[in-house]
Amino acid sequence: MNVIECRQLSKVYVRKQALSDLSFSIREHTITGLIGRNGAGKTTLLKLIAGFYRPTSGEVSVFSERPFNSLKVSQNMIYVDDQMALPTTMNLQEILTMTGRFYPFFDRGLADRLLDYFSIHVRAHHQDLSKGLRSTFNMILGLAARCPLTILDEPTTGMDVAVRKDFYRALLKEYLAHPRTIIISSHLLQELDHMLEDVVLIDQGKLRLHLPIDELKQYAVGIVGHPEQLEPLLAGREVFHQDLVSTSRSLVIVRNDGYIHEAAVRHGLEIVPISAEDICVYMTKQTKGRIDDVFIRSE
Amino acid sequence: MSQTDLGGAAVLLDSDATRPIYVQIAQWLENEILAGNIQPHERIYSQYQLADMFNINPATAAKGLNLLSDEELVYKKRGLGMFVAAHAKEHILSKRKNQTLQQLIRDLVREASNLDVDESELMQMVSQAIQERKDGAV
Repeated sequence: MNVIECRQLSKVYVRKQALSDLSFSIREHTITGLIGRNGAGKTTLLKLIAGFYRPTSGEVSVFSERPFNSLKVSQNMIYVDDQMALPTTMNLQEILTMTGRFYPFFDRGLADRLLDYFSIHVRAHHQDLSKGLRSTFNMILGLAARCPLTILDEPTTGMDVAVRKDFYRALLKEYLAHPRTIIISSHLLQELDHMLEDVVLIDQGKLRLHLPIDELKQYAVGIVGHPEQLEPLLAGREVFHQDLVSTSRSLVIVRNDGYIHEAAVRHGLEIVPISAEDICVYMTKQTKGRIDDVFIRSE
Repeated sequence: MSQTDLGGAAVLLDSDATRPIYVQIAQWLENEILAGNIQPHERIYSQYQLADMFNINPATAAKGLNLLSDEELVYKKRGLGMFVAAHAKEHILSKRKNQTLQQLIRDLVREASNLDVDESELMQMVSQAIQERKDGAV
């Protein structure tokens, strides 16, 4: 069963096309990573799914309903980011009580245990917490709400490495015990790729890939060799990136068609593994030249 | 089944390796069977146990289990889970001998030829390594 379906979904702000013609669906009880560069449209997409924004054209459906102004969607969905507008007059304890009234599956015991573990005082006020602790509290709300659809938009902003690790572990534990549909956006794929089932990669408002994570890792390979040696191998293949690594050797990132390993070995070329994160980076490259070029002084 | 509590500490997984995680899971399970930690007709770890132990998505763990099931090293009992097949250990041993070990030997021979190590010298190095292992030096 699909929890989310997008058909030719587009969103235009006053001067900017944020999303164009996105079509994909997300199955129930999967953890999907939404990956993209800064400004790719991740937050816009998530807010359309959450029903915070209305699409300019196309359609989004969540639990078979249009999420905008849908009580069913708001009750079964929680959206967590680092800008959650929580009441400033309430302390954290009161916020938890209020959240529990709204979300039918909210687990107060879990929220209290997590707050205790992270040493967050229940009488503190949300706006007084440090950036990292605020994100941690938001994450606790997101986990304890046990919503059938849990949307986490850059949830680890400001958290230190130890807290991030704990957070991903807690998320996986919760998911195993109480399966739900989770979308988590990040530009750091490396730190969460072990948890994911699928990855959605968007680039400049367009859907680039939607694949199981294992297939994404096999999607491209890196090959190192002399440019002249590489040339016959690259003919007819999709090349995502090419770069000189030394004066006589080039690195190319090329689409893995299943035969590329054998072909490279036959040509006596070296194959280097490329992480899923790097594949995403190479596939969504939009800078001009390389960063090093900026530092070449013009004569 | 011996329940080793790894507490989610991903002890084996090498996320940068070229081998996909689910292949590593399958190999870990094969090692458990080879070592006799899971006996024939004993229930093997579920996808959820593996997900918890190795801190991975349960769908990835399921793919690892499916590799074993495709090779008939485990069998399914409806509603009860997966169990180790009677001949699993022998199958894994012969598979590793015929595939993994053969490949390692081909790699060894190729590297020796790259380094101009001739046959007698290579054989001598192999015998020496065997002797060292017997003596407990390695």
